[in-house]
Amino acid sequence: MTTLTESISQLRGSLGRGFNWQIFLEDNITGSWLQTIWVLLLAIVTAFVAAGQFAKLPVSTIVVLIAWFVGILLVAVGALSYRHTPLSRWLKNNLLSSVSNTILTLLVVLAIVAAINGVWQWGVVNATFDSVNTAPEFQPDNGATWGVIWAARKLLMTGQLAPAVTWRLWLAIGWIAVLWALSYVTGRPSLKARLRQLRVVTNVLWVLYPLFLYIFLAGVPKADYNVSAVLIGAVLLTAVYLLLWWQKVINFSYPTLIATLVAWPVFYTIWWGIGQSEVFSPINVDTWGGLMLTLIIAASVIVLSLPLGMVLALGRQSQVYGIPVWIIWPVAIVATLYYAFTSSPALWATARNPVEQLLALWPLLILAVAYLIGRMFRGNIVSAASTTFIELIRSVPLITLLFMGIVMAPFFLAPDAITPPKPWPVIVAYTLFSSAYMAETIRGGLQAIPKGQYEAADSLGFNTLQKMRFIILPQALRIVIPPIVGQFIGAFKSSSLVSVVGLFDFMGITRSILANPQWLGLRLELYVFLAVVYFLGSSVMSAYSRRLEVRLGAGER
Amino acid sequence: MAQIAAPPPREPVSIWRSLLGYIFDVRVIGVLGQIGFILLIVFVARAIGGNFAANAGRLGEAQFICRDGSFNYRCAYDFMESEAGFDIADAPKDYVNTDPYWRAFGIGVRNSLRVAVLGVILTAVVGTIAGIARLSNNWLISTLALWYVEITRNTPLLIQLFFVYFGVILTLPGLREAIRIPILDVYLSNRGLSIPSPQFTSSAAIWLAFLVLGVIQFQVLWIILGRREERTGRASNRVSWGIASFLIVAGLGWAVSTAVSETQGLMVTRANRIREVNDLEKMMLQRTGLNHLDDVDTLSEDELAAAEFKVCVVEDSSSETNLTRQLRRMGIPFSVNRSDRPDQATEKYAEGTCEAFAATKSVLAAERSTLEDLNSHLIIPVREIPIVWSMPTLEGLNLVGGTRLRPEYTGLLLALVIFYGGSLAEMVRAGIQSVSKGQSEAARALGLTEGQRLQLIVLPQALRVIIPPGIGVALSLAKDTSLGIAIGFPDMYAVSYTTMNQSGRVLQLFLLIMLVYMLISLVFSLLLNWYNERIKLVER
Repeated sequence: MTTLTESISQLRGSLGRGFNWQIFLEDNITGSWLQTIWVLLLAIVTAFVAAGQFAKLPVSTIVVLIAWFVGILLVAVGALSYRHTPLSRWLKNNLLSSVSNTILTLLVVLAIVAAINGVWQWGVVNATFDSVNTAPEFQPDNGATWGVIWAARKLLMTGQLAPAVTWRLWLAIGWIAVLWALSYVTGRPSLKARLRQLRVVTNVLWVLYPLFLYIFLAGVPKADYNVSAVLIGAVLLTAVYLLLWWQKVINFSYPTLIATLVAWPVFYTIWWGIGQSEVFSPINVDTWGGLMLTLIIAASVIVLSLPLGMVLALGRQSQVYGIPVWIIWPVAIVATLYYAFTSSPALWATARNPVEQLLALWPLLILAVAYLIGRMFRGNIVSAASTTFIELIRSVPLITLLFMGIVMAPFFLAPDAITPPKPWPVIVAYTLFSSAYMAETIRGGLQAIPKGQYEAADSLGFNTLQKMRFIILPQALRIVIPPIVGQFIGAFKSSSLVSVVGLFDFMGITRSILANPQWLGLRLELYVFLAVVYFLGSSVMSAYSRRLEVRLGAGER
Repeated sequence: MAQIAAPPPREPVSIWRSLLGYIFDVRVIGVLGQIGFILLIVFVARAIGGNFAANAGRLGEAQFICRDGSFNYRCAYDFMESEAGFDIADAPKDYVNTDPYWRAFGIGVRNSLRVAVLGVILTAVVGTIAGIARLSNNWLISTLALWYVEITRNTPLLIQLFFVYFGVILTLPGLREAIRIPILDVYLSNRGLSIPSPQFTSSAAIWLAFLVLGVIQFQVLWIILGRREERTGRASNRVSWGIASFLIVAGLGWAVSTAVSETQGLMVTRANRIREVNDLEKMMLQRTGLNHLDDVDTLSEDELAAAEFKVCVVEDSSSETNLTRQLRRMGIPFSVNRSDRPDQATEKYAEGTCEAFAATKSVLAAERSTLEDLNSHLIIPVREIPIVWSMPTLEGLNLVGGTRLRPEYTGLLLALVIFYGGSLAEMVRAGIQSVSKGQSEAARALGLTEGQRLQLIVLPQALRVIIPPGIGVALSLAKDTSLGIAIGFPDMYAVSYTTMNQSGRVLQLFLLIMLVYMLISLVFSLLLNWYNERIKLVER
């Protein structure tokens, strides 16, 4: 009796001695009629492509073909002799595993060669890199005029920002660089313990950075010292502190209380002082543009939409005891009856068409809303309002909301208010849009937390705020880091849409550069540049998210 | 031993204390808070509404003015009935710029839907292919697919749209050097994409009825064969039988509908002595003096031009395609004179520009009655098949026939499909990878073929994972058709924008746009959720 190993080695020996054409054909070509047709079709197409390519690029086509044959040869020799070299094994596993795969590989390589050749010819061989002579008469016929990127660098980066205030932008960039360096240094494991206080200061500076950015790039107007604003601000801030203490979310200590008390007055005084000194005089926000505006919009939306989205998600998931039915229905019926007798008859009488007659019946809507609130949300107004807001926003495209922000703002502001510069309503509209999506993402995280965690927190006697702060949110947010960063990337990319509503962000300034007679006829050069910048930005963000995931996920499971 | 202390006597609680206890009940506080929340919403809404009312008079005085000049909110949409005054590049033939705004808006909605529906279908195809390619065992293909996904996901849709539109479509050759894909008869140029389009003649209804019949008998056969399979335990080839019988019914329907219906006609003068379409051959032989129509090629160009059978048609009518198809098959040289409306064609026919006028019989009868010497004109029947294909053909400087997809439409569609195809590819990949390897191995162990493995084991399980995020992709795609405005595609948003600029009615149009988008989103998500419900795992 032979052992299993022996029989296998025998089988291998018998297989290795002769190449079995029948098995090879059946595996690769004649296995089924579908396979046969597929391989034949592939072969014919590839032959045509190769012939066509040969006419255009003889040398590279021949090189590719020779390399292909050599590869096949290597794999065949390796397979028949049972002695694969690393190269031939890799080729066999990854490129030349079957007849159809082998042909497909050739086809793809030919296509890639053609594409690379096209890009190379356009981008390097026929291209000019002169940044002075970029006018239409200097532009090569079949090549790129890369000089435009350098020539238009100021516009691309800052748009119409006055050159006199560019130093303030540099200040902002320098500031962020310093913060980054501080974070890096204080985050080193070897220095972490010694520089703990510096790390706290750095984190505070990070939190305050948006304010500094605002001071640098928007400026502080000269204004009178408003004492009541100081008092109201201080009282509000202290109230929040006391509320959090009352709900046992933060510990009480006199230094923190004093810090809370004086924070606003100190800040206000500095603000006022900067305004008085006129170092950072107001800049017309409408002159913002280029990559700067894109980054400002994207960063504002990212920073603002996370907390807002969190509030919306918690609102939607809220388990507050709803308004009972015995309050909802009587109120709704009384309101319906009231309007049915005061408003409807007149509307009905003057209706000009069936649609208006239908609209005259609007008090019935009150009943419908009452039914929805009672039935779907069990009287939970917080959940109903959050859900409505999220779903409304999510069903409209971003551009519509952006336009709405710009065009409708003058309608909804007080009649005597000044129409704000375009970036503000755009940021507000974009933040609302983004936070609705953010809310859904965070809700996914909240729902992923096992019920036991909520129950455990309840049984420990935690109040709602404590439960969320210490138990639920830390876990939920960690789960949803990847989708949240995905949203951030989306916010960064989609910020290019503000160009459609007339802002001169990176995309918008590019379009206006292309319309400039000086650079007429160019297009792809700048779009390629834009695509590369956006690609790099997005890639950096997703790489950072992967690192963050690893860091926060450490120790978990 | 410890003694258990007796519980202290319960002190009587005063009524005020218990009342306080009720008030500080969490539920009471919650309800009161929510009522406060409602009041806050009402307060903010009133403030904004008040601002709006004040501003409506100041900023948008014209917004709510009725025809008689009075101010009334109910007249908000009255302006939509007045003349639009702008042209729409991608509109049905009968749209003229004197049509009301409503019509223009409707055309915008139609355009948005055209992109959205086709876009979702094509995205599903592209995303599936790319997702499967990501898992290919060919390293080149999977790497290529990876780069496709990475690039489409990490650059803004707007840039991709500009690349596709400015970098690809507008750099295609002009109409005269259009790229022609031979077998499919597709023309690609910087004026867009021309594809063959089916035109339904009136007999299509009969054929369609047969098709429905075919589907029904397919189902019946499927059930009957399935029962027999269960009874006897022997596999019968249900698919082949079903398809074969369906094809037979469809073919029968084709023959019947061709034989039965004679709604197409050709109006000719009695003097021409043509009584049926086949007489044309005799006439042509007489005219050219040839013995056989195959010899037409031997004629000189002038001779041919003189002998041509000149026929008037209404542009893009199925009658045109139907008749020219038959003439071409018979080998009769002909030229077509196209008009926009039947009465124009009749006019040309009456003045002798053409020898015949092809249309449906009812149109011809109506037109014939307008002729002065109506008795000297005959309407002869023309055979028809249910569906005729209108092929794009290059005639001089123009492409006629077929359906032309304009460059903006093609660009927007392509960009959306490429962008969302990349997103979907990742979902497809994740879905397929979520099916555990053991499932595939079990299928192979059972002896299922690769096709059966995919169809019966992997796909049903993968689809459950793919569909929910796929719904999101479809919804985003439908909404992102609004980007068309960036390249001048007249979708609903672009049309509304023009309307806004012309009329100044901003609020009304915004409400309208939001309403339509919400409806589209609702319909899309209802449909896809219904599908999701059908395929999702039924748990205990």
